[in-house]
Parts: sequence; C-alpha cells; structure tokens
Amino acid sequence: MLQVQFLRSNTFRWASAVAGLFATFVVILFGFIYFNIDAYLVERSDGVLNTQVAFLASLPFEHSVRAIEDHLRQDDRGVRFAGLFDPNGKRLAGNLEQLPKDIKLGAPPLTVRVERSAGRQSADPLIRAAARRLENGNIVLVGRNVDETWEISHVVGEALVLGLLPAFCLCLLAGAWLSLRAQRRVEEVNQRVRRIVAGDLRERLPHRDVDEPFSRLAAIVNGMLNEMETMINALSGVGNDIAHELRTPLTRARLILERGRSNATSLEELQAAADKTVAGIDQALSIVTALLRLADIENSRRFAAFGSVVLPDLLRQVYDIYEPIAEDKQISLSVGIAGNLEVRGDRDLLFEAIVNLVDNAVKFTPEGGKVAIELAQAEKGAVVRVTDTGPGIPRQETEAVLRRFYRSDKVRHTPGVGLGLNLVAAIVKLHGFRLMIHPGPGGCIEILCPDRRLDRAARANAVSCAA
Amino acid sequence: MGGSPPFRRYERTQMTKVLLIEDDDETAEEISAELTGRGFEVEWSSNGIEGLDKARSLRPDALIVDRLLPGMDGLAIVDTLRKDQVRTPVLVLSALGAVNDRVRGLRMGGDDYLTKPFAVVELVARIEALLRRPSESRETILRVGQLELDLIERTAKRGERDIDLLPREFRLLEYMMRRSDQLLTRAMLLEEVWNYKFVPTTNLVDVHMGRVRHKVDLPGEAPMIHNVRGAGFILRTVDQFG
Repeated sequence: MLQVQFLRSNTFRWASAVAGLFATFVVILFGFIYFNIDAYLVERSDGVLNTQVAFLASLPFEHSVRAIEDHLRQDDRGVRFAGLFDPNGKRLAGNLEQLPKDIKLGAPPLTVRVERSAGRQSADPLIRAAARRLENGNIVLVGRNVDETWEISHVVGEALVLGLLPAFCLCLLAGAWLSLRAQRRVEEVNQRVRRIVAGDLRERLPHRDVDEPFSRLAAIVNGMLNEMETMINALSGVGNDIAHELRTPLTRARLILERGRSNATSLEELQAAADKTVAGIDQALSIVTALLRLADIENSRRFAAFGSVVLPDLLRQVYDIYEPIAEDKQISLSVGIAGNLEVRGDRDLLFEAIVNLVDNAVKFTPEGGKVAIELAQAEKGAVVRVTDTGPGIPRQETEAVLRRFYRSDKVRHTPGVGLGLNLVAAIVKLHGFRLMIHPGPGGCIEILCPDRRLDRAARANAVSCAA
Repeated sequence: MGGSPPFRRYERTQMTKVLLIEDDDETAEEISAELTGRGFEVEWSSNGIEGLDKARSLRPDALIVDRLLPGMDGLAIVDTLRKDQVRTPVLVLSALGAVNDRVRGLRMGGDDYLTKPFAVVELVARIEALLRRPSESRETILRVGQLELDLIERTAKRGERDIDLLPREFRLLEYMMRRSDQLLTRAMLLEEVWNYKFVPTTNLVDVHMGRVRHKVDLPGEAPMIHNVRGAGFILRTVDQFG
C-alpha cells in the first residue's frame, strides 16, 4: 500500500512535474543550439559558394571545366556539386544531370533539388547552390550538400538522450525517495498520534536535533504534549487531593458534632460544639473557595483588566498592610525599592500574588527574624523579591511547593490550605512573568517581570542611535 | 445623640421590606427566617421573571437576588431594573467566583455581591450596609459621639484628645465612622478599606483594628469600637458618660 501511495503523494507529483519541466527546458535548449549551429554552417557554406562561383566565372572556358573537375575530385565525402551548362541549360561539365529548374541566376545561394549525373545515390539530394551566367552565355553552378547538419542533429540528439534521460530518471527517483521518506515519517507520526489519542500520553513524535521544518514542528508538538501530560496528571491527582483535603476538616466537624450532641449537658456546651463544627466546615469551604479562585485565574484569558501597574506603590501598600502584623510577631519587615518600575498587568492580581508571598514569609519566619520586600531593576525588567530569615524551602522541595495542597512536613502545624504558591504561580503565569523559588536556608522567592515595553523602547533607541 | 440607648442595634422608623429572589427553597427559608427575626419584612420569589415583577410592583427597600435563576439571570434582573430607573439597592448572591468584570461593575454601582457559601451574619451586615448607604455628603468633618475626623486636615480627635493615625488607620476609621452603629464584617472591611478581592489567611483586619482601637479607646474611656464575636466590628456612638 505504501508503494502505491507514494506515487499519489504530493511530493512525488511535484518531483514529476519538476522533472518534466526540466526535460522540456533541456529539449528547448538543445533545439536552440541545433538550429543556431545549422544556420551558422549554412551561412558559412553559402559564403564559400559565392566565392567559388565568382572564381569559376572569372576563368576562361577551358580552365573552368578543369577547375570544376578538380573541385569535384577533391571531394571525398561527396558533398560538392558543380556544373557548367550551356545557355539552354544543357550539361557541359560537372556532376549534375541538368540545371535545376528553380535556380535563380546571380542570386545568393538557395536550397534546390538536383539530379546527379552519375546516379551514385538513389535520392535526389537537396543542396545549397549558387549559379551565375557567364559572358559567353554559359551558366556555372556550385553547390554543396548541407545534409551534414543532420549529423550534427544526430550528435545533439545523442547528447540529449545520454544527458536528459538519466537526469529525468534521477529526478523521478529523488522525488520518489523524498516522497517515500515523507510518507514514512508521516506514517510514523500518524501511528504515534493514534497511540496518544488512544490514551498513551507518554508517546512523543520522532524528531532529530537538526534545524529542519519537520523536526521543528515535531519539537513544538512534543512541547505541547509535555504541557498537556503535566496538566492531565495534575488534574487526575487533584481530584484525589481535593477529596483528601476536604475529608480532614469534615471528619473533624462530624466528630465534634456527634460528640457534642451526645455529651453536651448545657446549651453553652452545645453551642461551643456547634461553633467548632462551623469552623471545621468553614475550613472545608475555604479550600473550595481557594480552588475555584485558582481555576478562575488559570482559565482567565482576558487581559481587559490589564493596565500599567506601578510596582513601588504596590509594594509600599503591601508593606503598609503587613507592617503591624510583622511587628506583632516581632519580625522586622522592610521594603527596598530601586527605581520607579512599571509593568503591564492586573493590579489586583499582582497585589494578591505579592501579598501571598509576604504573608507566607511572615507566617514562616520565627520571632525576631527579618522579612524584606525588594524591588530591583534587572537586565530586562523588574524583579520583585521577598526574602526572609525563616527556614526557607529545601532544594528538593522547590518544585514540589508548586503542587496543589503541598505543605512541607515542617509547617504542617501552621494554618493554611497549601494553595498560596499555586495561586502566585497561576497569577505569574497569566502575566507571562517568571516565578523563581530559591532553596533555603532563608526564604527567597522572586517574580521576574520582563518589561516588553522596555524591550520596544530599547529597540527604538537602537534604531535612533543607528540613524 | 444623647437620647438613644447605647446598645440599640438598628434604627428603623418603619418595617423594611426586602425582596428575596432565590430558587433554592431551603436557602431561601433560612435567609427569610433570619431576616424576619431581625425585624425585616421578607417577600420571597423563586424565579426570575416573577421576581422582576414583584421588584416593580412591591417597591421593596432592598433586593437579594441569586445569580443563577430559572427564567432570568440575576444580573439581568439588576440590569433591567436599572434601565427602568429603579434604584433599589441589590445584593447579588452567587456560587460563581467574583473575578468578573460584571461583578466589578455591580460593586461600582453601589450594589453588592456575595459569594456562596456565606455566613448569615455576613448577609445581614451587607443588607444593612446597602440600606444605610452613606449619603454623598459634602461634610469635611465626620462626627460620631466624641470622635471627630477632619477629612481635609487629616486629623482625628476624641473629645479634646488628638489621635495620631497612620494613613491606613485613618481610612479605616473614616470608613467606620461613615457606617457607625453598623456591623462591619472582616470581608467588608477587606474589600472596602484594603481593596482586597480575596480573603487572606492572616488575621489582617484584627491586627489593624487592634491598633486603631488602642488609639481610639484609651484605658478608662468608654469603648467605641466593639468586636462582635465571629462576625466583625461595630463603631458605636457613646455619649460622654456612656
């Protein structure tokens, strides 16, 4: 099936078309060469004929007969024709039976059909001939067989066949090979895609490390598949995680309620149990709320709320809010701002992201520690950095913390849902920024905000400098 | 100010009528029971079209509208009423998240949006807030009891005593003074004073409120800022001898 298919494939059709076109051009080229050579040879022999006629005409009668005979005798190939005729066209000397009927006297050489006197060849040859009337009324004619151009055409034709046929075949073969190769790759891709569709998400398209369109395409598709695989795996994991995370507070609430119902002896005790239950349910609900919000941000593709966000103002605002909280915990909170940096984004979401980072930092830093919010100018935009003197995130956990519900064993006892960094990551991703989590000791998380306008401005600068 | 009892909760001259448009029977029952218990007159409608009719004919003082309703979307009801020049304040309830432009628009228009699930206290507090929207007064000095806030000079005083406030504390006190004797929940304060569109895990509001309270209510003075357990805060008018 493959073999038949390649004949129908586009690649092969194109190759055939190109081969055909190539052949046509070559034939036209060879034809042009042939006709030019032919015309050149005829023109040259015409010149010779003119000279010879003039020469014979200048000789006295006796001499001219001998000259004609000499002229004919020196002709090995039998291409020369000459004749001397009386005024009535009767043959006096030469190898022609009679004066050709359509010859014009005194005119430049013409193509005429002649009859040989000797009859050596069966066909009456077609020759170029020039004739002139002499003073005594006789007519002298000199001709030359130009059939030898046929030989040239033969040679040309041979060259054509020898060169063109192999080239044509090579073209077709190359076409067939390319088509077959493309076919094979497409077939391989088809098979792998079918496997992916069937659910094997670990399958990838074949690609080589060369800068070639097919490989580039495969690399892009593979990148997409990687992303999808991570997403789908995350999704399937999330279902379990959510169930587990919800179960914990709900179980607690249920226990308290059950015990309260059977053990409470006063309204106050029952109310206390109810309060605890509500708290448990509220915790379960806060998980749901956080998840919905996360989904909201992750699915949001709207950039309508995007505007210019002045980062120093934003950071100062976060500082304002957290300063008293840090002070209560005897943590020194500081804000350091270098330059007046602006980025494009959703102010509320960026605020939320930074608040989350600072909130975490303050939460996990022990008393007497330090938390710093910094804004720095990096090579290509702004860097928002939140550092603390807390335990930080161990190197082996820098990736895990971005998993939903991930909470380091060390911080299990601190309140929280374990979705804060997910939220930050989602917001950062929505903006096209980068989140960098540096390993501890000491927390250090950065949001890199490449400023696209800055890029443009830099380019504009470069242009104006060049000008 | 001297005449009113210090612990009076809400001050209303006549029964306030609230129209509740909610398709879930049990939720509706709980809400109307709670509101009736607090002295509201509650009308209930379980679908959008009937609800819209009632909103026009009964002329309620406030509306509570679920967002997903049979017949008509809750936000569409608000749009229709606003087009008919009906200015009744609306509280929209929804299980949908609030990162939405239409919701932002709703809040800008003076209405409110509450995400399900919510605490009943929260709902009542917000309805109270909607009903007693502070008038667009041109006053530059706010007064609640002995407390005085100069919005131009940015100074605060309790009686003769100057209170030194940080900018954010000033904003918090201003918001509370415009809504004195009203329960203000933590979520309301976060949204209005700190512009939070989300609820953080840290007890932000309590810490900031604690600071302001230390400055407003010195030891020996009658407390003005009250913590309502599990609900929020109230700035109460107290007279000198309160």
